[in-house]
Amino acid sequence: MGQAWDFASVFANTDALIAGAIGTVRLFAICLILGLSLGLLVGLARYAHSRWFNIPATVFVEFFRNTPVLVQMLWFYFALPILVPLEISSLAAAALGISLNTAAFSAEIYRGGIQSIERGQWDGARAIGMGWGQTMRRIVLPQAIKRMMPALTNRAIEVFKMTTLASAVAYVELLQQGKLIASLNFNPIEAYTTIAVIFFVILWPLVQLTYVLERRLKRDE
Amino acid sequence: MYKWDFAPVFANAGLLAEGLANTLKVTAVALGCGLVLGLALALLRLSPRLFLSWPAGFVIEVFRTTPPLVQLFWFFFALPLIAGIEMTPFVAAVTTFSIQSAAFFAEVFRAGIQSIERGQWEGALAIGMSRRQALNHIVLPQAVTRMIPAFLERSIELMKTTTLVATIAYADLLYQANAIAQKTYRPLETFTVAALIYFVVIFAFSLLARRLERRLAVGGESTVH
Repeated sequence: MGQAWDFASVFANTDALIAGAIGTVRLFAICLILGLSLGLLVGLARYAHSRWFNIPATVFVEFFRNTPVLVQMLWFYFALPILVPLEISSLAAAALGISLNTAAFSAEIYRGGIQSIERGQWDGARAIGMGWGQTMRRIVLPQAIKRMMPALTNRAIEVFKMTTLASAVAYVELLQQGKLIASLNFNPIEAYTTIAVIFFVILWPLVQLTYVLERRLKRDE
Repeated sequence: MYKWDFAPVFANAGLLAEGLANTLKVTAVALGCGLVLGLALALLRLSPRLFLSWPAGFVIEVFRTTPPLVQLFWFFFALPLIAGIEMTPFVAAVTTFSIQSAAFFAEVFRAGIQSIERGQWEGALAIGMSRRQALNHIVLPQAVTRMIPAFLERSIELMKTTTLVATIAYADLLYQANAIAQKTYRPLETFTVAALIYFVVIFAFSLLARRLERRLAVGGESTVH
C-alpha cells in the first residue's frame, strides 16, 4: 500500500491511448457491420425451408457459437495463412474471428425475431399481392427489428468488449496500449485501472440503453 | 498444395489432455465460487439497506460492463502490487472469472427471486416463517427451476471465456496448443485440432443444456433471462 497512485505517468501517454482508442473503434465498427449483415444472411438461410441453405447455415452457427472466439482469432492468425497465399494482418485476423462469431450469434437473434412475427402478417401481405422478398423487407423485418433491438444492442456491447482480445495478436487497441504503457512506465496499477475506467465509461450508458429498450418493448407488447 | 500432417500434433496429445483438464478445472472452480458469490451479491442487491445494495450493484455493474480480458490483466498485473501479494496465473484466473460470473449470476438470481409472486412470500410469513426461512424453503426452490436455462447458458459462456487465461501463461488447452504449434511448426493442424476439441466439449454441454431446458419447458415452468 506504500506507494501513492500516480496517474500522471498514464496521462503523459495520452497519444498512445488515443491511438488505442482509434484502433478499438475501428475494429468495433468493422466487426459490427460485417457481423450483423452476415448474420442477417445466415439467419435468413437458417429460417429457409430449403436444405441447401438450412444445413450449411446451421453448421456455421453451431460451430461459431460453440468455440471460443479467441481460438477462432488465433486460428485465422496462425493457421489460415498456411492454407491461403495471403498475409493475414492482426487486424484482419481479429476482424474475421469477431465478425464470424458475431454473425453466428446475431443470426439466431434475427431468426428468433422473424419467427416471432405472426403468420397472419405473411398471409395478409400475400393477399395484397406481395412476394416473399417484399413481405420480408416491408412487413416482417421492420416489425421484427423492433423486437430484436435489445438483443442486438447487447450483441454490440459484447462486440465492443471482444475487441480487447485483438491484443493477443498484438493489434493496436486500448488494452494493447495499456500493456505498452504499463511495461514502459512500470505502472500496471494506474495503466490497467485507466483502461478499465475507459471501457466502463463508454459501455455503461450503452448497457443502460439496453435496459430502457427492454422495458419499452415489454410495455408496448 | 499444402500437405496436412497431424502426426506431430498427436505426438503431443498428452499436453493437449493436460490443457483440457486445466480448462475444465478453471471453469469448475469459477462456476462453483461464482454461484455462491452470485447468490450473496443478489441478496445484498435486493436488500432495502442502501449501504448493502449500492456496493453490490456497483460490483455487478463494473464486472458486467468491462471486458473480461481487462479484468484478468487487472487482477494479474495490478492487484498483486496494490495488495502486496504473490499472484499465480491460476489464482488470477479463478478470482477474475469467479467474480465476473458472480456478477452475471447475481442478475439471474435477482430476476428469478423477483419473478416469484408476492403471495408466496406473504403466505410463508403468514404461517410463521421468518424471511430467511421463506427465502430458503419457498422462494429459492421455485426460483432456481426458472433460472436453470440462464445458468446453463452462462456456464457455457464461462468455459469459452476461460481461453483468455492463455494470455497470462496459464497452461489451458489454448496455451498448450500455441506451445505445440510453435514447437512443431504445425500451427494449421494444431489450432484446428484445438478448435475441434473445444467444439466437441462445448457443443456436448450445449446439447445437454438444450435437452434440460426443453424438459423444464414441458414441465410448464416459465424461464427468466
